[in-house]
Order: sequence, then C-alpha cells, then structure tokens
Amino acid sequence: MKEMGIIHQLIIPFFGHRITINLEVVLMTWIVFIILILVGLAFTRKSGIVPRPLQALGEMIVTVLYDLTEDALGKELAQTYAPMVCALFLFLLLSNWLGIIPHLDEPTKDLNTTLSLGIMGFCIAHYAGIKSKGFKAYAKEYFQPIFFMMPLNVIGELAKIVSISFRLFGNIMGGSIIILVVSHLIYSLVLPPLLYAFFGLFVGTIQAFVFTMLTVVYISVQVK
Amino acid sequence: MAIDIQTMVNVAAYAGGGLAMGLGAIGAAIGEGHTAALANIAIARNEKASGEIFKNMLVGQAVAESASIFALVIAILLLFLDAGSPNVVKAAALFGAGLSMGFGAIGSGVGSGYPAGQACFGISRQPAASSQLTTNMLIGSAVCQTPAIFSMVVALMLIFIDFGGAPPQPAWAAMLGAGLSMGLAAIGSGYGGGLAAGASCEGIARHPRTVTNVTTIMLVGQAVAQTPSIFGLLISFILMFKSFPASTTLSAAMALLGAGLCMGFGGIGPGIGNGMAAEGAVRWVARNQEHAGELMRMMLVGQAVSQSTAIYAMVVSLVLIFVL
Repeated sequence: MKEMGIIHQLIIPFFGHRITINLEVVLMTWIVFIILILVGLAFTRKSGIVPRPLQALGEMIVTVLYDLTEDALGKELAQTYAPMVCALFLFLLLSNWLGIIPHLDEPTKDLNTTLSLGIMGFCIAHYAGIKSKGFKAYAKEYFQPIFFMMPLNVIGELAKIVSISFRLFGNIMGGSIIILVVSHLIYSLVLPPLLYAFFGLFVGTIQAFVFTMLTVVYISVQVK
Repeated sequence: MAIDIQTMVNVAAYAGGGLAMGLGAIGAAIGEGHTAALANIAIARNEKASGEIFKNMLVGQAVAESASIFALVIAILLLFLDAGSPNVVKAAALFGAGLSMGFGAIGSGVGSGYPAGQACFGISRQPAASSQLTTNMLIGSAVCQTPAIFSMVVALMLIFIDFGGAPPQPAWAAMLGAGLSMGLAAIGSGYGGGLAAGASCEGIARHPRTVTNVTTIMLVGQAVAQTPSIFGLLISFILMFKSFPASTTLSAAMALLGAGLCMGFGGIGPGIGNGMAAEGAVRWVARNQEHAGELMRMMLVGQAVSQSTAIYAMVVSLVLIFVL
C-alpha cells in the first residue's frame, strides 16, 4: 500500500521559489503525444479518394466529433473550434486508456494535467464570448440579475474550472486507487483485468467524452 | 473503566463499519425495488417481451447493487483490517471513512434504479430497441455510480493513509469533516444523475432514433448534476491534506467539522435540482429533437442557477477552513 500517494518530483530552486516538476506525468504525457502523432501519420499515410481501412476509421472519428461540435456551436464556429475539440478528445481518450498498459500511468491521474486543460477550455470559452458579443455585452452578464451578485457570478464561473477538472481527475485517480487497493486485497487474482476494463476503458471513454462535451457546451453558452 | 487508545480505535472502526454497511444498504434496495416494480408493470403490458425484460431487470439491478457492494467492501475493511499505530486521528479517520461510504452509497443506489426501471418499461413499449435501451441504461447507471466511487475513494484514503503526524487537536475534526463532506454531498448527485438517466431511457423508448442526442444530453446533464459531489470531494481533500496548526481550543476543530457539514448538506439539494433540470431536458429532447441545442443551453443555464447554492456552501466551507 506504500505506492499510494508517492510522486517522483524534480524540484528546481528558482530565485527563492521552488519549481516542482512531476517527472512521471511529463513522461506519460509525451508518450501520449508520440502515440497520437504516430496514429495520425498512420491514418493519413497514402490517403486517397477511395479510403483504406485506417483512413476510413480516422475519417469516421473526426466526422463524429465534427458533427457533435456543429450541433452545439453552429456551422461557422464549428470550423474554428472542431480541430481543437478533436485534439482534446483524442488526447484525453488515449491518456485515460494509457493506464491499462502495465508500468504506465494515466497523465489525467495528476490534477495538474486536468486543471490546465480546464483552464484552457475556460479561456477559450471566454475569448469566444468576448469576440462574438463584444466586451460590453459580455461584462454586462456578470451584473445579472442585480449588480451586487457580481462576486458570486465570478465565483460561479471559476467553479466551472474546479468542477470540470476535478471530475476527470477524481474519476481517473479514484479508479486507479480502487484498482490498487482491491488488487492488493485479493492478491491480484481474477478481478484486476475486469476492473481495468471498467475503470480504464469504459469510465475513461465516458469521462473523455464528458470533458470534451462540457468544453464545447461552455463555449456555446458564452457565445449565444 | 478507563478507555485506552487501542479500544478507542477499535470502537471507531466497528461503529464506522456498521454505519457504512447500514446506511449503504438503504439506497440500492430502494433502487432495485423500483426497477422490479416497473419490470412488473412492463410484463403486464407486453407479456411477449417478458424474457427480455427479465434479463434487463437483473442486469440493471446488478448495477444498482454496486453502490452497496462498495459499502460492503469498506465495512469489511473496517472490521478486519489492523489499523496500525493507534492514535486519536486514526480513530476519527476510520469513523469518517464509514460515514463517507455509508451516506455516499444512498444516492447512487436509489438513482441507478431509475434508468434500470425505465429501460424495462421501455422494452415493453419498443421491444425492437431493447439493445439500445440496455446500452443506454448501462452508461447512465455507471455514471450514476460516480458519487459512490468518489465516496469510496475518500473512505479508502481515510483508512490507508497515515495521518499520525498531524496534531490531534484540530485533525480529528478534519477527518470527520472530510468523511461527512464527501458522503452527504454524494447523496443528491447520485439521485439527480439517476433522474436524468431514467428520463433518457424513457425518451429512447419513445423515439429510438434520437438515441445519439438523448445520450449526449444525458451525459452532460449528469456531469453537471455531479458538480456538488465534486465540490464535496474538493473540500474533503483539503480537509485531509492541509496541515492545520495545533491548537488548544475547541473552536478550530469545530470550524473544520462545520466546513464538512456545510459542504455536505449544501450539496444535497443542488444535486437533486440539477438532476431534475436534466430530466426535463432529456425527456423532451426525445420528443422535439430539432430543438436539442436550445434545450441543452436552457438546461445548463437553469442548472447554473440551481448550482449557485452549492457554490455558497463551498464558499462558506472555504472561509471556515482558511479564514477562521
């Protein structure tokens, strides 16, 4: 049970502050990047009008995600934001699935990954809102319904970052803790593969989808 | 009779284990009963599909049962695990683990009965859509279990992480607060997620072609309904891992206990309310697919307003932890 809560960190002193880097998370994130780039190359290699099986699979994934973005944002905005949505979903999906390979961990198990993705989505949503409505109309929304509700409206917006990033982090980290404890208790007999299938593949897919959809929906709420 | 510290830890572990299983048995049983009731109605309406309905009922009940199986695991751990070095903080943490898991299993158990029941009822209406209904039911009830899974994670952390180094005076209250915050906040979110998932199964039975839209909105609605339990998770993480300075007065400890109670009770209502908002949106998307985008936006705006009370509770909890 000692593994629970141990993180390998690189601490660099920097003018009196300490910069902490979680080495394993960075390594795992790079592994996900490399797999994604390789998969992308494999899908687009020798692309043609008549698609080969891999190209067809890639086109199918992108089309589904593009349609989902278009349903929520409309045709024009979808052209801008759909590539980001595809990239976000595929990154999260591979990150959540990475844990089923022995000795590899999910990058999303670390709050830093999910929090930075959540802040990214938040910034994009508010940028899109200011761009489409203008700053005045955007700022006016914070003073609804009465002016003194402003601080609570701001906290409400910031709470979205907390909820979206802790949802992913809690699910993935919770799954891995449950797998660790249950495997330890039953001496790794029979159950662990089923637990990995449920928490890694099934919950991982659902949570990647939920995170992506919420990011899209936050953009659409800001824009309209 | 003087009570030594080992006895105290044992008392906390046994009481916690009893509460975990006792409270944890409430929800799943109600949810499964609801499923069985709707399965009976379904068979009365369309007796030809009875084989399919029976199978679906058993699968749905098995998923609804998982919340109380989590509680059983925690209860057994509390009863039979050797706690290690006995101290006051450990005793509070073990009791808190029992509270977290016991309360946390209630909402998810009741909630995941709804999709199972509506899926059985839907199969009697649309036997052709039974595979879609079963898939949607499984996704919906699995997401309903998330608050119970969070509670189980907090309970496991309280059991296994060694908090012995913390000063006992405020730390015992922090451990109890962490368990209460997560356990109580999970009740509303689990129940609310179940309402949304139930409406989605009903909608698919009404109009099987809308399955993509209905499932997407159900997942978004459930995710937002879970936000109060995520706030509960956040507060209990802060209570577990922030190091509080030792104090001789009782008021510091009471502030931490109050923070847990505030977030826990404050999360119940918003979870159910958000679930109701999602239920309405999901049910009517199936009937009016053309306006799915507007329905989803309206649902989110309504949920954001209903969520604001959970945010007030979180703000007060954070003030209790960091300011007082």
